[in-house]
This record gives sequence, C-alpha cells and structure tokens, in this order.
Amino acid sequence: MTNTSHEVVKGPHHSGDAAPIALSAHSITKRFPGVLANDSVDFDVRTGEVHTLLGENGAGKSTLAAMLCGLYQPDSGYLLRNGQQISLSSPRAGLQHGIAMVHQHFRLVERFSVAENVVLGSRNLSFTLNRKSIDEKVAAVAESYGLPIDPSAIVGDLSVGQRQRVEIVKALYQGAEILLLDEPTAVLVPAEVEKLFENVHAMTAAGKSIVFISHKLGEVVEISDRVTVLRGGRVTGHVSGRGSTDTKELARLMVGRDINLSTQRASHATGHEVLQIREVSLKSEGVDILSHITFNVHEGEMVGIAGVAGNGQRELADTIAGLISPTTGTISIGGNMTTDRGPIAAREHGLAYVPEDRLGMGLVPSMSILDNLLLTRDRHIVVDRASVRPEANRLIEQFEIKANDADHVARKLSGGNAQKVLLARELSGGRAATKLLVVCSPTRGLDVGAIETVRRLLDDARSAGQAILLISEDLDEIMSLADRILVLYRGAIVHETKGEAAQLATVGAAMAGLNTEGAA
Amino acid sequence: MNSNIWVLTSANAVTIATTLILAALGALFTERAGVLNLGVEGILLTSAISSFLAADSSGSIWVGLAVGAAVGALLAGVHATLTVVLRANQIVSGLALVIFGTGLANFLGKPAEGKTVATIIKPMTFGPLTRIPVLGPIVFEHDIITYGTIALAIGSAWYLFRTRPGLELRAVGDDPATVDAQGLSVARIRIRYTLLGGALIGLGGSWLMLAQSAAWHQAATTNGIGWIALALVVFAGWHPVRLIFGAVLFGFCLRLPFTLQAEQITFIPSAFMQMLPYVATLIALIALSRPGSKNLRGAPKSLGNPFVRDER
Amino acid sequence: MRAPFRIIFEQRSDTPKYLTALVPLVSVFAALAAGAIFLMSTGYSVSETYSNMLQDGFLSSRGITDTLGLSTVLICMGVSAAFAFQMNLYNIGGEGQGYLGMIGGAWAGLALGPHLPSAIMIPALLVIGAAFGAAWIFIPAFVRARLGTSETVTTLLLTYVAASLVNHFIYTPNSYFRAPDVTFPMGRTVPDSAKLTAIGDTRMYPTFFIVVALAIFLYWLVKRTEFGYRIQVISDSPKAAHYAGINSRRTTMQVMLISGALAGLGGATLIVGEFGKLDPGITMLGYGYAGIVIAALARNNFAAIIVSGILFSGLRVGGDKLQITTSTPIHIGVMLQGAILLFALGGEAFRRYKIRAVRMQAVAQ
Repeated sequence: MTNTSHEVVKGPHHSGDAAPIALSAHSITKRFPGVLANDSVDFDVRTGEVHTLLGENGAGKSTLAAMLCGLYQPDSGYLLRNGQQISLSSPRAGLQHGIAMVHQHFRLVERFSVAENVVLGSRNLSFTLNRKSIDEKVAAVAESYGLPIDPSAIVGDLSVGQRQRVEIVKALYQGAEILLLDEPTAVLVPAEVEKLFENVHAMTAAGKSIVFISHKLGEVVEISDRVTVLRGGRVTGHVSGRGSTDTKELARLMVGRDINLSTQRASHATGHEVLQIREVSLKSEGVDILSHITFNVHEGEMVGIAGVAGNGQRELADTIAGLISPTTGTISIGGNMTTDRGPIAAREHGLAYVPEDRLGMGLVPSMSILDNLLLTRDRHIVVDRASVRPEANRLIEQFEIKANDADHVARKLSGGNAQKVLLARELSGGRAATKLLVVCSPTRGLDVGAIETVRRLLDDARSAGQAILLISEDLDEIMSLADRILVLYRGAIVHETKGEAAQLATVGAAMAGLNTEGAA
Repeated sequence: MNSNIWVLTSANAVTIATTLILAALGALFTERAGVLNLGVEGILLTSAISSFLAADSSGSIWVGLAVGAAVGALLAGVHATLTVVLRANQIVSGLALVIFGTGLANFLGKPAEGKTVATIIKPMTFGPLTRIPVLGPIVFEHDIITYGTIALAIGSAWYLFRTRPGLELRAVGDDPATVDAQGLSVARIRIRYTLLGGALIGLGGSWLMLAQSAAWHQAATTNGIGWIALALVVFAGWHPVRLIFGAVLFGFCLRLPFTLQAEQITFIPSAFMQMLPYVATLIALIALSRPGSKNLRGAPKSLGNPFVRDER
Repeated sequence: MRAPFRIIFEQRSDTPKYLTALVPLVSVFAALAAGAIFLMSTGYSVSETYSNMLQDGFLSSRGITDTLGLSTVLICMGVSAAFAFQMNLYNIGGEGQGYLGMIGGAWAGLALGPHLPSAIMIPALLVIGAAFGAAWIFIPAFVRARLGTSETVTTLLLTYVAASLVNHFIYTPNSYFRAPDVTFPMGRTVPDSAKLTAIGDTRMYPTFFIVVALAIFLYWLVKRTEFGYRIQVISDSPKAAHYAGINSRRTTMQVMLISGALAGLGGATLIVGEFGKLDPGITMLGYGYAGIVIAALARNNFAAIIVSGILFSGLRVGGDKLQITTSTPIHIGVMLQGAILLFALGGEAFRRYKIRAVRMQAVAQ
C-alpha cells in the first residue's frame, strides 16, 4: 500500500482560529512479534477539540492510543506535549503530563466504591483515608462537568454507562487534560451514547482535548472536529469531521476498497418451526435472569436478538444449547423436547452453537484444529484421529481457513480464522445434521474481510434452510441481517419487529428499556 | 475433672495462637496481593531453626527473632521471584518451598537436634490481674509477642481498609490490570507484600521455637501448623481481626490432645486426638465452601493468577 | 525514566524442542551448583559429598540397582501427582495416600493369610493398596467436584491424619498390624506368599517393570483415548468442556481417585517388596512429596517421569548413604530436590518466553 495521505482539513470548527496543539505524535512506529502495528504514524490533537482515530479492528488505533498515554513505548518516533518533547515510560508518566485513557474494558475494581476507584493510584492522597472527604471531593469533580454519580455506590452494582462515567471522572480527578476514549460507544445503547456525547461537549467546552477511537462511521461524523483514518498501521487520511464528511469516503479510506456489508434479505420461504421456546424463565440466586421467553425460529429464517450486554443474551443462548436448565418453561428443537437434557441431547436433535467466547468456550486454545473438530462430535473410547483428518482438511479448504494443516493449534489462529473453524465445525454437523444454529456476536473483533465472510456463511446457511438465532450487541449487524428482531431487556422480550421494517430509534429505545410497545 | 486443666488448655490455646496468627497474617497479606504462598510450612521450619541457631550463638532471643523474620522474607523472596517475576505456577512454587525449606531446616538443624535454647521469651507480669480466676491465666499470662501479635492483627485491619496503601493492596489482589492502568507497579506491590508476609511467617516460626518448644525436633517442630494457618485465612474470610478468633479456636484443637493425655482420658486413642486439629481444619474448609458461604466472597479475585499485561 | 533497562517477556509462539529437554537438565545442574555453594559455606566438602552421591547413586552396581529399586515407588508417586496435576488438580497428599496403600497392602497380606498362592496374593495386595489410596482421597475429591473446595490443603491435611493412623496401628499394644512377641513397636510381617523376591542379588523387585509399564500405559491413555481427550479439554478450558457436554465433576472425581490409587499402589509396592510390613519409619521417608517434584520436573509427562523418577531415586540413594560415607547430613538430598524444583520452575519462564533486557529509549528519533 502506498502512502495515499489525504489532506482535506478545513480547520477546526467551533473555535474560529486554530487552538494550540496540545499533544502530537511524530512518525511513531511500533512492532509486535509478527505485526507492524504502527508504521510512522503522525497524529495531533488541539486544545478543546475532538479528534477521532478511525480504523477497523487491527488497524493500529488502540496501539497508537496506548503509546499516547504511556501504556506502550514506541520503537521509534516521538511525542510533543505543548511543543515540548516528552517520553512516557508508563501510564503514570502519561498522567503527569495530563494524558489519560478510558479503556474499552473498564479498569475498575468491582468491589470498591465509586470514590475508592476514582482515588485509587492518585498521588495527592493522604496515608489514611477519610471516606467522607473523598466522597465529597469526587462528587465535586463529577458535578463540575455535569457527570452525576453517587460516590459511595459499589461499582459492581452500576450499569455499563455509569461505569464509563466513573472512568471519565477518574481521569478528570487525576487532572487529565487530554482524554483518550477507546471505543466508548461499543457497550452503550443509543440513549447512553447521546448522553456521552453531551459529556464530551461539556469537557471540550472546558478546554479538555478528546481523542475518540472508533470504527463506527456515523458517530464519528457526528462527534469529531477532525478524523485521522488508520489502515494496516498507517495513516490513510486526515479528514475534517462534523457532518461535512462523506461517510463513503471515510469507509474507503478505512478499508481500502468499496465494501458491501449489507446482505440480501431475500424473502425466504420459511418452513416449519425448528426452535420452539415456551415460557422459559431462569432464576439465579433469587434474581430473574430470563422471564417468560416465548418465540419460534423457522426453517430458513434468521431471528435476531438485540440488546445491551448483560440483559440475559448469553443465558438465553446457553439455555437453548442445553448448558443451563431453565427454572420453568420448555424448549424443543425440531419437535423434540430438549429441556433439561443437556448439550449432547440438544446436538443430537440438530443444534449447533457458536458462543460469543470463541477461544476458551467454542474452541480449546491448546488443541489442534483437528482435535477441536472432535469437541462436539462422538469420540470413541480410543480417539480415531486418522479417520477425521480428511474431513478436517476438506473443511480447512472449504472455509478458507488460513492454517498450516489440521494440526495447527487453535490459539495461534487469528480471530477471523478461529471463527471460521468454529463455524466450519458447527455448520458441518456432528452428532446430527445441523437444523438450528445459535450464534452469538459472530463478527465481534473481526476485520472487515472476515466479517464479510462470516456474514456470507450465515446467509448461505439460512438459504440452505437452517434456522438461525443471531444474538448480537451490534445493532447494525442485526438490522442488516435478521428477518425478525426481538429485543431483550432485563431478561424479557420487550419488542418485536420485522427486519426490513425495523426503525433504529424504536429498537434502540426498546434496548434501553424505554419503550415496550410492540412487545411480543 | 480438674477445671484448672481446661483453663490451662485455653491459656495454651492463646499461646499457640500467636504462631498461627503471625503465619496466617503473613499468608493473608501475601494473598491479599494476589499471591498464593503455600510454602508457609517450609518457611516456618527454616525460620524456626535459624532463629534457634542465631539465639543460641548470640545469646539474645531478639537477634533470634530478627534472623527468623529475615530468613522468612528471604524464602518468600524466592517465591516472589519465581511467581511474580518469572510467572511460575504459584502452587508448585509454594510446594517447592515446603520441600526445600524442610530439607534446609533439617540440614541446618542436624547439630541442634535435642538441644534447647538457654533463654526463652518470658511472659509479662500484670501483678494482681494474673490472679483473677480463669480469666487471669488465659488473658494475662502471655509474653509481649503474643500481645503484640494481637495488636498487629487489629492494626492490619485498619491498614487494609482505612489507608491508601491498603486500598492499593486490595486492588492488586482483586484487579491487577486496573492497578497497572493507574501506573502503579503490580509486580512491585506483589513482591513487597510477599516479602512482608514471609517476614511475618518467619517471625511466627521463630517465636514458636524461642517461646514454645525451645527444642528442635526437626519437621515435628511445626507439625503442619503452616497448613492450618493457610486454612485459617480462608476461615477468617481474609479479614485480619477474624484471624484472632479462628486462631484461638484452632489453637484449642491443637492443645486438646495434650490436655486429655495429661488428664488420662484414654477412651479416645491418643493418635485420634492428634488428628483432631487436622480433621477440624478439614471440616472447617469443607463447611466454608458450601454454596452461599460468605467467607469465600472475601477471597481476592486474582488470587493465584500471575499478572501479565495484555501485550497482544 | 528511572530504570535504564526494562525486562521484556515475549511469549514464544513455538517452543523449540531442545528447550523442553534442556530446561530440566540445566535446572538439575543449577541446583547442584547452588547446593555446592551451600555446602561450602556450611563447611562441608563439596567434592566428597557429590562424588559419594554419584558413586553410590548411579555408578556402582549396588548403587544403580538400589536406585532402580527405589525408583519403583518414586515413579509411582510421580505418576500419581502428574495424573492429577495435568488437570490442574493439585493432589499434594500422595504421601498420605501412600501410607494408606501400605496399610491396605499390609492388611490384605495379613488377612488373606498364608495359604493363598503368590499369584493371588501379590495382585491382591497391590489392588487393595491402590483401593485404600483411592479411598483416602475420596473426601477431598468429592468436595472438590461438588463444592469446589481447594484440594491442595485438604489432601495435605489428610497426610497428617494418615501419619497418625500409621502410628496408631503400630504403637497401640495388641494392634493387628503390630508384631507380637516384640517389645519395641514394629509392624507384623506379611506371609512370604505376599512378598516378591528381589531380582538376583539386588534390591530391585519385579514391581519396577510393572510400574514402568503402567507409566507408559498412562501416557497412551492420555494421548489417545476419549478419557485423555476429556482431561485435556477440562484442563485447558473448563468452559469449553461445559460447552461440549463433558461432565467435569465426574472427570474430576475419576482423575483424583486414580491419582490416589496410584499413590496407594506406590505404598503397596513397598509391602510386597522391600518392607514386607507396616513400619513406623515410613512416615519419615517423604516419597509422596518427592513424587510432586518428579512430576513437576517431567512437566507431567508420564514417559519423562520414568527418567526423572530414576534421577531422583539416585539422588536419594546417594544422599542417604552420605551418613555412612561422609559427615554431610543426609538432608542435603531433600534440599537438592526442592532446589531442583525451584530452578525448574524458574527455567519454565525461559521455555515459555523469550526474555530480554531492552534499553529504554528516552527519546528515539
């Protein structure tokens, strides 16, 4: 790839004259074993602006952010803070220069209170802790940016959106001037995203700089003053943001070619009911995890379950797969009752299950592709690997899995290839021909090429008459793939709509528990 | 039955509890940092004989105690190097320490077999208080280390829950990645508390030697107290103050066989009485792991897991 | 900024084969070197100690046959530990399960009486010994499988209980296991039909070959059978096992019971072999603890355990004879065991990671 740097900068928007550059990175290069994660990347952020790092998974944006905050050190290149050269040996050094990162996976101690989390690691803290004064200080910082939080609440009890707010308050409390937000919207429902954007504006108005990391084009255009696009560790373009940008152009810069992720939602002739769920409820330690779930999935139909993480999706999938017994209710696959019969019985009636946790649940990391194929199949007393090998080789070829051979260890596969191995095993049937495929977040963390392949495979399976239950937190994915959409909120189905008729606003509101009209 | 015997047993239980509290407190600090050190028994033995030799040659029990604590920290340092720096399996490393420590202690103790220390730590005197029936001997006839240990356990609870380093320590045990993201060194904190834990365990072993048995009987000197101390940490739900009560309880079980023997109560064979502390510990451990048990909720979440920063 | 160097751990994607063999080998030598420094500093002769150990453990014909003889029980204890360790079940009570194996073996020998032929007696002793060992781990196995109670401390605590039990059987007057007509406490010898004869003029018994064959069988079991497959899945990823419908509880029980049985078998080999009776001295020998070291050094590979078992046996045999040949305390043998394990553990890091010191670039251009 040649350096096709794209200068379309029209200058910052809301401040008439250019604000000073708060932090800049110059020809940053970072190498990991086998990967050139950043290849002489230039980047800068001005005071009071939102500058977005846009790129697909593996483009190197998180690596760059990690170097901006001191988590990693660049192999070469340098950083300037207010024009002065700085070297960040650790996140702590980053903080000393007013740079803080809000991680995608929150770095909060669940057992601690909000205030304890906020002050953890802070240097201007006395030896003895006075709970009350800490609570007051934290609340004061939070309020000054319009971020309401209860300092004495235990983090483990908070929602994802609230936890994110704690992370931001923590960065502000520690005196951050530049905040790096790593994929902050990935875990939020649309309403929470709006709230976050309000907070971002409050912070920039107060003179903070925001580095926003994302791969979602729509929100990038909405929030950014400027956008830097990364692909394969290189900058492919600097673009101005705020609605003036063509999302198609951004997509091309991000992926390097035109892509089409929308699948044909042809009106499939749907057949018999393959999966029947009747009044399924699940209680755990007195808490309702699932309540009164009832729906069907037909032959050749793809039903999407939308919802924010932690609303019972994983438990629903596990219950259908026979890994959890429901407290009440029944499940049948292909007309056979599988409730309480365990995963093997479910598979014998045609179940296939691609769990969200690929490496560690769906695949055994230390085992070869061949042994992983055996995981959900009948293995005799003495495992006969030789007889399975031809099939393994055939599947590797058919699913275009990049592996040396069938003895390739699962741990060493890329995310996309691991997912292909999993799909290859599940779609090819094991104990019985696959009738029902339950698949959770099938494209999470994959690059665009792999996403296309995985979606095509799911589409093919649907065309072949298999019933598919697609459970995903990626609303765009569900909207573009599913024939029918059910929204799961606090363990109950609160909304149902046809795929082509689905409205983003309505489904989003249902995910946030705001709207129950159209409930099944 | 002579009631004095029971008072004496209780008093002795408080005495033996000193070693249990010190060893368990050492294990507790180590575990609160997320490091499991199963080598307690090995450290107890090695520091016991080291303190014996040091006290014997210097003539000072305080030198003995200091050397014992230092040796404990040294052995814990081996564990910290292996598990924190080199990321070795914590369970196997702890076991290696038990085996190595036992061999080392027996080796060093060869010339000391059967010998006793000239001076031992003497109980404090509280004058008339000691003469209070029942309570007097149980509460007021111990040495300064015993009282110091109880104060230390209470102070540890304050340190753990009411100070900044305590907050950081608990955070490291629960969620090292978060502490790392704060720019604090997980490795440094873990090593620090593993060493401190080793020193406390070492102190416990030295005290056992210099105040209690005062004679070297090889591995029988500790006779499994290290393992009971480890169970005690679970029993106390990783809370230092609860250690005190647990230690007295287990201490009573440890002393009971001697009392019964002295009382010539023979309908239970003495071998079975000697099993009592181990069986009691076993039952306690099993009871604590029943579903819904509150104790295990105190367990540091990353206990036993090496911390590796996720660098792709 | 502070430290000019930073130690980098780089996960190896492929571990070179030679390292797998080299690391244990280097750890043995490193431990011997550390032991030498220790001996020197405590005023004992290094050359005398080591040359005697080498001579009496490996080089003399008496030494090597004694070593192979002792390796029988050590290999057994090693496979017992490894069988549980491979599934991350830390049964460290092999010592106590071994005592129970001896109790079981001795009981079978005494109870089945002198009239049955050896062809029945010997297998009966070994099987009953193994069953006693399995019984001794039953409670830890059950609570581990059902409640998740950590097996490390429970198995170990039961070793102390087992030791008391052995003492009880030998020291109690008129005990079934105690030799009558002898004033000092001593075990009653099992009938001759329950004892194997040593090979030639050695202290090696045919049980050595049984145990070696058993280790090889277990190697095959783990690599090639459905049972071994299950163990591999559970040890690597309990969630994947659950996903695939593998019953982890049952497998946990099975693996722990087998581990206990193997330790019990190790104890029973002593009854049909060298000891022929329950002896109070057995609680001082620590073969079960040695098994942990042997398993760890062999990285739970059953074939490699045969080698590391023989190596450790030689250390023990050579070490124990130091008492006669030199003034060095025999405990140097146990110390070296522990040291080898410590070095092997440290060495693991070099096998798994590429470790290098990198200069911190203050500012690179």
